[in-house]
Amino acid sequence: MEDIEEFEYEPRSVKELFIEMKNIVELMVDLAYSSILFGDKEIAEEVLDLEERMDLLNYQMMVHAVLAARNVKEAEKVTSILQMANAIEDISNAAGDLAKMVLEGLEPHPVIKEAILESEEIIAKITVTPNSILAGKTLGELKLASNTGVWIIAVRRGKRWIFAPDKDFRIKPLDVLIGRGTHTSIEHLKEIARGVIRVVGHERA
Amino acid sequence: MKELEEIKDILIEMKNLSSLMIDLAFSSVMYNSEDIADEVYILEDKVDDLTLKVKKLALNAAKYEENPDKLLSIIEMATINEQISDSAYEIADLVLRDVEPHPIIRKIMHDVEEEIGRVKVNEGSILIGQTLKQLKLPTKIGVKILAIKRGTRYIYNPSKDEEIKEGDILIAVGSGIDRLRELSNEVEEEGEMFEEEEEE
Repeated sequence: MEDIEEFEYEPRSVKELFIEMKNIVELMVDLAYSSILFGDKEIAEEVLDLEERMDLLNYQMMVHAVLAARNVKEAEKVTSILQMANAIEDISNAAGDLAKMVLEGLEPHPVIKEAILESEEIIAKITVTPNSILAGKTLGELKLASNTGVWIIAVRRGKRWIFAPDKDFRIKPLDVLIGRGTHTSIEHLKEIARGVIRVVGHERA
Repeated sequence: MKELEEIKDILIEMKNLSSLMIDLAFSSVMYNSEDIADEVYILEDKVDDLTLKVKKLALNAAKYEENPDKLLSIIEMATINEQISDSAYEIADLVLRDVEPHPIIRKIMHDVEEEIGRVKVNEGSILIGQTLKQLKLPTKIGVKILAIKRGTRYIYNPSKDEEIKEGDILIAVGSGIDRLRELSNEVEEEGEMFEEEEEE
């Protein structure tokens, strides 16, 4: 409960909160599957950290809800906000449970990894070679999501992890990108990262 | 083993569906769309069926597996996926409930002209046989396809090479949903009687 004691009420709009919760919960599910696929405990830990962040956001959402009710009628309407906050928290807990499978060493059956690899959207590690056009560019410049259809959910740099990189994030040679996309788009990005394809959108090597 | 093949296929489907459901559930709230919330409801049912099926298969497979403990992870995985799908339904349920949403929920909903909708591609539509790449829907009519429902299958985040087929149901978001309905021949097929009713 430490988080909650430290929490100061900051009037953020409900919409901002909702969007952040949506983004985090989606990231959590992606990372949770990645942690299982790669058997990676650090990714799993990150999922649990995000779960804590979600608890805080959820708490803020509930404060909004309580402040919004001034009478019985409004209180009834407010239950819908609580229902939503609860549901989002449940998804985040579910992602946390997936991550815990990795942390607790429950050896996944091989079909689980196969299933993750054969889903419509897969998760893959993509290593950026020094002569790739990606090296030295920011995600904003590359617009990877719209140009290749791959979302970068995390990056491994040496021993460090960077989660949910933003558009100002600059890719360096030998970065390992964790991307989510369809098989074709992942293959396409791998070729770019290897330096075989030299064009991304308007960016040319 | 036959069971394992089946288990794998179901797990793939469950993973696809639960991601799709999270996306659709949030979208149904943001766009205040009962149509999309309905779709989440249908999917929740489907995931429940799949969960039960995969658990039964795992139990069956345990008879032949040398190390049946390993199958626990499959049951765990199925349970977690079902939880995600149940929660997604809880979110979509906000739109389906008869309670007038609190102004706070209203604030979350999009104030822009964008909407989300299900559009069926009917016979004779010029969309049929074209790939998303050829159609360039986002730039031409301001519509992005989130998913394609083909028979009982869902194609989530369809790739640019996906070809539209007759009978597809497009789940799309944007400002040009009406235009998309025209292009998919929906208005003509459904007949005029619905047209006026559905206008708000």
